Amino acid sequence: MTTAARFDEIVHAPNRLQICAMLAAVESAGFPAVREGLGVADSVLSKHVRVLHEAGYVAIHKATCASRVRTSLSLTTAGRAAYQGHVAALQAIMENGTGKPEVSSTARRTPSR
Amino acid sequence: MSAAIPPEEAASAMAAIDDRRAWLADRLIAPGWYHPACGVLAGALIAVAETRNWPLFYWAVAGYSAGCGALMWMNQRRAGVTVRYFRTRVSIVFAAQVLTLSALAALACWLDLDRGRRGAFLVAGVLAIAITIVFGRWTDKALRADFQARR
Repeated sequence: MTTAARFDEIVHAPNRLQICAMLAAVESAGFPAVREGLGVADSVLSKHVRVLHEAGYVAIHKATCASRVRTSLSLTTAGRAAYQGHVAALQAIMENGTGKPEVSSTARRTPSR
Repeated sequence: MSAAIPPEEAASAMAAIDDRRAWLADRLIAPGWYHPACGVLAGALIAVAETRNWPLFYWAVAGYSAGCGALMWMNQRRAGVTVRYFRTRVSIVFAAQVLTLSALAALACWLDLDRGRRGAFLVAGVLAIAITIVFGRWTDKALRADFQARR
């Protein structure tokens, strides 16, 4: 099944795109693993995760283990669809070189970096 | 509404995606001790049959199950991610490993219990360690290929 190309400005921001790329490959990922993968500070990751969470793309799970709270992240169904559509849009841009993909109706302008 | 981004930016974004997937694949690859430890558990389970002490063998089965569970838990905790390991390629390698070890155990049973060749379970236990390590490395390769094939 092919995914419809849909450029998503929420996903497109470099850090958020990488967060989605990591989460799309796994069932869930711990907050420290994602932070290490991106090489950013907690506060930076938190900011981007909050944007994705508010868009309904990322689910945040908190579990208490040995009196420590472990936070893990996973892509929601909507987030997975948005990410796959965005990747398809990027591929279309690379192949066609038009630079004018359709933009997701749910996407909005947000600080990107 | 349209977003105009140049093909170079799209290519850069795709390269970033590939980088993160490669990083994730590296993180998921089991550490050096993992497959030998699995091999020792499998080898010990088969070798214990040499004693013909079946209550001890049942305890060995329980120990093998608990040991494998603990190793997988430790590996997952180290990686910090939860993945569906049994994707297509990994499933094929895993099925081949189970079949090979089962055939080895069956051969040892036939040689020792039917033909009376003492030591067959010990030899099979040592071979099981090597087989588990080899298949473990193939599993890692399959997992890496699976991750890099998908965006």
